[in-house]
Amino acid sequence: MGLPVFISTGQSNNPLKRELEQQLVEQLSADPAFDLTLVANLYDLSPAGPALTAMGEVDKEMLVISWFYSRGAHWILDRNGIHGQVGEIELEIENDDEDEQDEDEDQPEEEIYRVIDDRPLPDREIFCLNMKASEQADDFVEEARRIAQLVLNKWIQGNPDPEQLARFQQPVNQQAAAAVPTLETDAARRWYPVIDFSRCTNCMECIDFCLFGVYGVDRAETILVEQPDNCRKGCPACSRVCPENAIVFPQHKSPAIAGAQVDLGGLKIDLSLLFGKPDAADEAARERDEQLVLAGRSPVSNDDAPLEKRQANKPSAPADELDGLLDQLDELA
Amino acid sequence: MSDVLVFEMGEFPAEFPRTFHYAANHMWAHRGDDSWRFGFTAYAVRLLQDVYFLDWNFDAGVPVQQQQEIGSIESKKAESSLYAPISGELTEFNQQLLSDPSGINLDKYGQGWLFEIRPVDDNTTADLMTAENYLDHLEEVWKVTQRTIKGQLG
Repeated sequence: MGLPVFISTGQSNNPLKRELEQQLVEQLSADPAFDLTLVANLYDLSPAGPALTAMGEVDKEMLVISWFYSRGAHWILDRNGIHGQVGEIELEIENDDEDEQDEDEDQPEEEIYRVIDDRPLPDREIFCLNMKASEQADDFVEEARRIAQLVLNKWIQGNPDPEQLARFQQPVNQQAAAAVPTLETDAARRWYPVIDFSRCTNCMECIDFCLFGVYGVDRAETILVEQPDNCRKGCPACSRVCPENAIVFPQHKSPAIAGAQVDLGGLKIDLSLLFGKPDAADEAARERDEQLVLAGRSPVSNDDAPLEKRQANKPSAPADELDGLLDQLDELA
Repeated sequence: MSDVLVFEMGEFPAEFPRTFHYAANHMWAHRGDDSWRFGFTAYAVRLLQDVYFLDWNFDAGVPVQQQQEIGSIESKKAESSLYAPISGELTEFNQQLLSDPSGINLDKYGQGWLFEIRPVDDNTTADLMTAENYLDHLEEVWKVTQRTIKGQLG
């Protein structure tokens, strides 16, 4: 039994993307270390459809290869009842400010409540690879084999079954490569948020902000995406108002909204504000108004009544150097 | 008089049927019973070349304003946002193109149509050009277009 691998094909007919998918199918299906299944675009899969059902039946480690950031893919699966630990991967989109992030890791993390603290995940890991991370199929095959080796060691706990080991060490296909199961090839396009519960603090900014009934709470009063298909196509506004950057729209063109790894402290200083871009709250309110108008309803925001801060009585943290810098920027503007 | 006007984009002859109207954002417009059908002109398709992916920001049945961002496109040569050519109610998107956008390349003035808009009133469509006027417009923008492309290629 090999590592279950799901390749999720993208929506674009770009021949470069199609070729990468095809090469991965050919190489991974020919390798007995993997049990490969092909599914349509992960984000579009219908909730109880054959693809998600098959993925839900896997109760141990698995690898999902899609066109989404690994964080986006992980929480799409979580929203569909496919839970697991985040499997660490070594093939990610290169981050320009990697040095900066390393510095942050040295600092002790603040003790903030996260929804995930009350929601222990099963002990199995789900590994999510993003096909945007490389143009070379070999990079993915190499990473998939590294993960398969890691997982096999975990499964056998240093106690190899000779047959299992032989299968892994001998990448020779015993079945026809053409026999790759394919589930849900023509999923209709969907648009909805997914919540990263390792960041979400259950602050309820999103449920207050969204006027389309996308969000709800469960019996334990924890936020959830209750009616994903109520979401307004193309609108990522709730993601902008989330103080923890916990709301992911995996299909959005802006990496920060689509689930690219960013610091919890927020994004790098963006000088666009200085140069006339509306700030995130204003932009979110404008996007929400556009969607209200599109839905035949009345806009709710106006310039005289800016968004109220839900946690208005929360004590403000002492100003740090960054605040000073931002004040200077404010003065410039 | 020929049914088709031709604009030379370098060596490439881009053709524009006289039976259509044209919007400044390089979409053709064709009047139906109570709405107008829009698609990319030969000029736009030549610049895009093979279209790989088309996406709309919302589902049909909503009011749009002229120049409102309504979707995006990925092709062999470009990625771009798309904007409404006129104001009105966007009544229909060509669903066929969502699964296979190559219709835009195969039959741009027919099966490759993009969407239909029911104009607010006749004034809304007053800015649409005849083929002759569109050709004048192209004479003006062609140099700028070339500069833009060369600029982005470095």
